[in-house]
Amino acid sequence: MGVTEPAGDRVVVTGLGPVSSIGTGADLFLAGLRTGSSGAAPITSFDTTGFDHDIGCEVPDFEPVRWIQRLDPADLGRASQFAVAAAGLAVADAGLSGARLRDRRGLVAVGTTDGESRDLDGLVAQELAAGPGSWDPVVAGRVHAGRLSTSVARELGLSDVEAVTIATACAAGNYAIGYAYDVLRAGDADYALCGGADAQCRKTFAGFYRLGAMAPQMCQPFDRYRKGMLAGEGAGILLLERLDAARARGARILAEVLGYGLTCDADHPVAPNEDSVARCMRIALDNAGVKPDQVDLISAHGTATKANDVAEARAIRRVFGDHPPRTVGLKSMLGHTLGAASALAAVGCVLALADGFAPPTINHHETDPECGLDCVPNRAVAADLRIVQNNALAFGGNNAVVLLARYTAVGDGQPGAEGP
Amino acid sequence: MTVISAWSAVSPYGPDTVDFAAGVRDRRASPAGTVAGPGGQARTVPGFDIREALGRQGTRSMDRATALAVAATGQLLRDQADVAGDDTGLVMGTNTASAQSIMDFTRDSLTQARPYFVDPARFPNTVLNCAAAQGAIWHGLRGPNATVAGGRVTGLLALTYAGRLHRSGRATAVLCGAVEEWSTARAWLNHHAHPGGPTLGEGCAMVLLEPAGGAARGELAEVLAVTAAVYGAPGDAEEVLAGCLRRALAAAGTTAEDVWMTACAGGPEPSATAELAAVTAAVGAPVVSIADLIGDTDAAAASFGVAALLALAAGDGAAAGRVGLVTAVDPDGRVGCAVLRMTGAGAG
Repeated sequence: MGVTEPAGDRVVVTGLGPVSSIGTGADLFLAGLRTGSSGAAPITSFDTTGFDHDIGCEVPDFEPVRWIQRLDPADLGRASQFAVAAAGLAVADAGLSGARLRDRRGLVAVGTTDGESRDLDGLVAQELAAGPGSWDPVVAGRVHAGRLSTSVARELGLSDVEAVTIATACAAGNYAIGYAYDVLRAGDADYALCGGADAQCRKTFAGFYRLGAMAPQMCQPFDRYRKGMLAGEGAGILLLERLDAARARGARILAEVLGYGLTCDADHPVAPNEDSVARCMRIALDNAGVKPDQVDLISAHGTATKANDVAEARAIRRVFGDHPPRTVGLKSMLGHTLGAASALAAVGCVLALADGFAPPTINHHETDPECGLDCVPNRAVAADLRIVQNNALAFGGNNAVVLLARYTAVGDGQPGAEGP
Repeated sequence: MTVISAWSAVSPYGPDTVDFAAGVRDRRASPAGTVAGPGGQARTVPGFDIREALGRQGTRSMDRATALAVAATGQLLRDQADVAGDDTGLVMGTNTASAQSIMDFTRDSLTQARPYFVDPARFPNTVLNCAAAQGAIWHGLRGPNATVAGGRVTGLLALTYAGRLHRSGRATAVLCGAVEEWSTARAWLNHHAHPGGPTLGEGCAMVLLEPAGGAARGELAEVLAVTAAVYGAPGDAEEVLAGCLRRALAAAGTTAEDVWMTACAGGPEPSATAELAAVTAAVGAPVVSIADLIGDTDAAAASFGVAALLALAAGDGAAAGRVGLVTAVDPDGRVGCAVLRMTGAGAG
């Protein structure tokens, strides 16, 4: 891989569509990452009465009509609405439009943990009040997770497109990016809209809360006094193209996807498995043709639960040795946006590569010696990044790791750089 | 190229693969039973009890969708002890996993004394990748493990995803299929979304995919092409599927004349009529409708289509070397088709 590959086998990022609690659109999201914004605020999506704390990271003032014109916003659940908005942003960011994509073969791959479970929450409430016969048919008709991806295609007017929802829980965003990488390299599509989306819902908040995984106020990855995650929501969609196609249309190239890896723990339904996470990172590095010492920054899964952060840090040390690269936890700012998490993190990685900085891990007081990582505490730092690794670990032991690189048009000997 | 070297089905004909094979070969509709829910009838898997099927160990908190998938995975691997480990993947299709599990969990949050008095052991059931994860845990499958969702086209998306794992060298063997459970929650959702649709069915159908020439067992079929597309208005579904069929046959290097049989997923109207019209115009008879045989199995329908072709081709000289098509049209805006070259091998 790397230096000897023809442009047709290289996959690049040409558009970014983040919808998040700290900013929607690449510019606002970048500003949020640079300044270490927090998306934390009292949850408004559902009645939090009876929970001892109610802080989450919701997308404020989301206006579906701003993003959804061809379709009726009422036919889309909130996760689908986020996905459509993010895809629209990515397409515009790439200097493209639905009309310009329509005659090309495409892929839409949207990752998710919960699909439209928020709608299922609403139907349960309706059922308790008036029985299931009272359900709103429009809501009942929009709950299939498959709609996250078809809604993107239909809003953009795309037909010659494989639209797939990848429902591999909290690693789904990276799964979708990896799938897009394979599809583009195989020549099966000319462009790919890939990433993930999830909406805040009672079901998931109650579940994580019951597991003791929810922090009362803030998310502090790798901190000695971390108390868990905050429930987040949003979407991240990236537009990927093969390098030759991107260059042919004179696209602005933001970064390159070097490769990825997938493993399954096949072990415990919720606890991460250090061996399997390390194996996943090694597979991703091999696939990308990158040696561990070439990685300049890791965007960790970093949920800030006791168990995750220690297991992930240990796995990182196994692969990277005693001096791993800076390892940041973007969930400190965004909360855990589930299926969107690794997609939004990938957007963050691309912005960090393109803009030359390491985003911070905010809310940081004292690094947990058991983790022992430089998490770029509290303030972003300038950094000359060439290669960044994006980790995702999911329920069910589904791990996905993506390697991204700064795009360099002329060969400089680095993996991902073009050969002579 | 990817080949299918084994298959399994837990279906409304019965909990064993042989039940499905016999039912499809007889072309008899599986019986509908009485259930509590709208419509009052469903084609559930007869006699499928989670603990009877899988034992008491590890099933205390397991839901029906997961159990159907774990059972089908187990049957698929029944005679394939070599298939496991780091290089074996699992790709499972679903729509809402278990809508019942998700809604029961929310109901507890809304009705118990505290909103967090929910059963933590059942929390993973409410996440869409539960069946794939449990399939891997039960059978030691540590390769790529993915869950895909796409309405009645789901099984074809799973086949596409799994085939790409081969092509990109990410797995050697891949178990691939889709699952749908019958539950009162699903029945009510379907009742509101698709009133008057076919009786609901349930089950899980799976195939074992291996690289061509690399199968450690007989090759039952070769996956020549899988194509999917999206339509905007319901009136466009037929035309979009027709285009999909043309592209898939061309990509497979074959023609309509070579088609031996088509398995249509079927489902609610107007999708089912559009599907049949596109198939009839493009390739003609014979057609087997999965929904007619086992009810609307939604996410699992296209996977059952693949299984039906494998069941019908086994030992049938007329099928050997010819093409089987699987099609699906989903009301949510998605169509798909798969082109398989049947070998005619397999137990009759």
